[in-house]
Amino acid sequence: MKTYRMIPIQFTLNGKKTGLEVGAGETALYVIRERLSLKGTKEGCGIGECGACTIVVDGKNVNACLMAAPQLDGRIVMTVEGLGSEKALHPLQQAFLDHHGVQCGFCTPGLLMSAQALINETPQPTQKQVVEGISGNLCRCTGYQQIVTAIEDGAKKSGGEV
Amino acid sequence: MTHPAYARPETLDEALLFLKNHGADTCPLAGGTDVMVDMRSGKLETPYLLDISRLADLQGIAMSEEGFSIGAGVTINEIYASHLIAEFAPSLIKSCAFFGSPQIRNVATIGGNVGNASPSADTVPPLLVHGGKAMLASESGTRTVAVEDLFVGPYRNSIRSDELLLRFILKPVGTGFSDFQKIGRRKALAVSRMSMAILADREKDGTFGSIRLALGSATPTPMRMGAVESFLVGKQPDRKTLEDGARLMAEEMVRITGRRPSTVYKEKAVQGLFLRMLVPLLEKGAI
Repeated sequence: MKTYRMIPIQFTLNGKKTGLEVGAGETALYVIRERLSLKGTKEGCGIGECGACTIVVDGKNVNACLMAAPQLDGRIVMTVEGLGSEKALHPLQQAFLDHHGVQCGFCTPGLLMSAQALINETPQPTQKQVVEGISGNLCRCTGYQQIVTAIEDGAKKSGGEV
Repeated sequence: MTHPAYARPETLDEALLFLKNHGADTCPLAGGTDVMVDMRSGKLETPYLLDISRLADLQGIAMSEEGFSIGAGVTINEIYASHLIAEFAPSLIKSCAFFGSPQIRNVATIGGNVGNASPSADTVPPLLVHGGKAMLASESGTRTVAVEDLFVGPYRNSIRSDELLLRFILKPVGTGFSDFQKIGRRKALAVSRMSMAILADREKDGTFGSIRLALGSATPTPMRMGAVESFLVGKQPDRKTLEDGARLMAEEMVRITGRRPSTVYKEKAVQGLFLRMLVPLLEKGAI
């Protein structure tokens, strides 16, 4: 079996086939932000505690800071840039605006990704399921209430749109 | 951060051959939730990362003649969602309910939780009360060891560098009283300050026919509390017996760890946790 210092990987990023060489010690977060210049995914703590770097991999929310970049190989990956389009916000994004779920905004991309993973699995989550679904995302501004309301509303308006 | 070389074996044989040749310089990588943190902080510097996260041999939850088997690569979330585990090892499900965060549970594996050998590994007390055994594989064959014997000290395990954790084998228990609880600073993302798993059966007259207790985060390695178990077997779980049991639990803990600055808190906390978990037996009466 060969070992590599630079590993060629291919994965689907926000619907587009993406290929590049990554270092084994690089994180998925580093590759997404610095190599692919998608700055929506934030680095907060860097050790899996704050959820600011949350992305969706094969339908599940994960911390990009804890994922080794080579592990992206073959996966279907979504970052916050994959939500909505230039023309229209995704219903979750619109709901965050409508319900004042954004203050400083640093945690928002990660929260949107956890919300997206939640409604992938549970299209109409209860309030309890929303609270559990975002329990790995810290927000220091809002007190969460607006965020929870936004996700409940956004889920309803998503109506199966993913 | 140093840049290790990376290898992703397609098969278990490939992985074991790699470990035979480079084991001492290799860190296995599964969910990465400990490995990536330790690499970032500089605590872990490894020449090789062996990505075992896609090995089919480490997957699967199944009942077989050897017992109830859980692959080392099964994620915490897969355990939490498993109907088989809910039926035969419910305390293990409870330990996974508040494990880290949803993001961590989606990738962290039970093999990683055990192999990292943290004194506060949440899945370990349930494995201990289910008489958990670990199957380890190397080029020269497999061996089976009791889960408690995998722990030699905080963050130190007895797994040889040429070995890989394959799976855990538990004694399935579908009846009786079973619970896991932990004390953390908050619900999500809290490293356990203390955790406890219980598995108990009662005779027709209400006395404990058998009871197994395991304590996490309170001793250098998670362990069964044999002295408390023997004290309780054959007794009725009345309030006095449970309070005596709780005190004995605290004494045992102090005997094992010695007095430390945290003891003032922990000897009260361990009694509180013990009573919180066992007092429902008084109220419900039967198991």
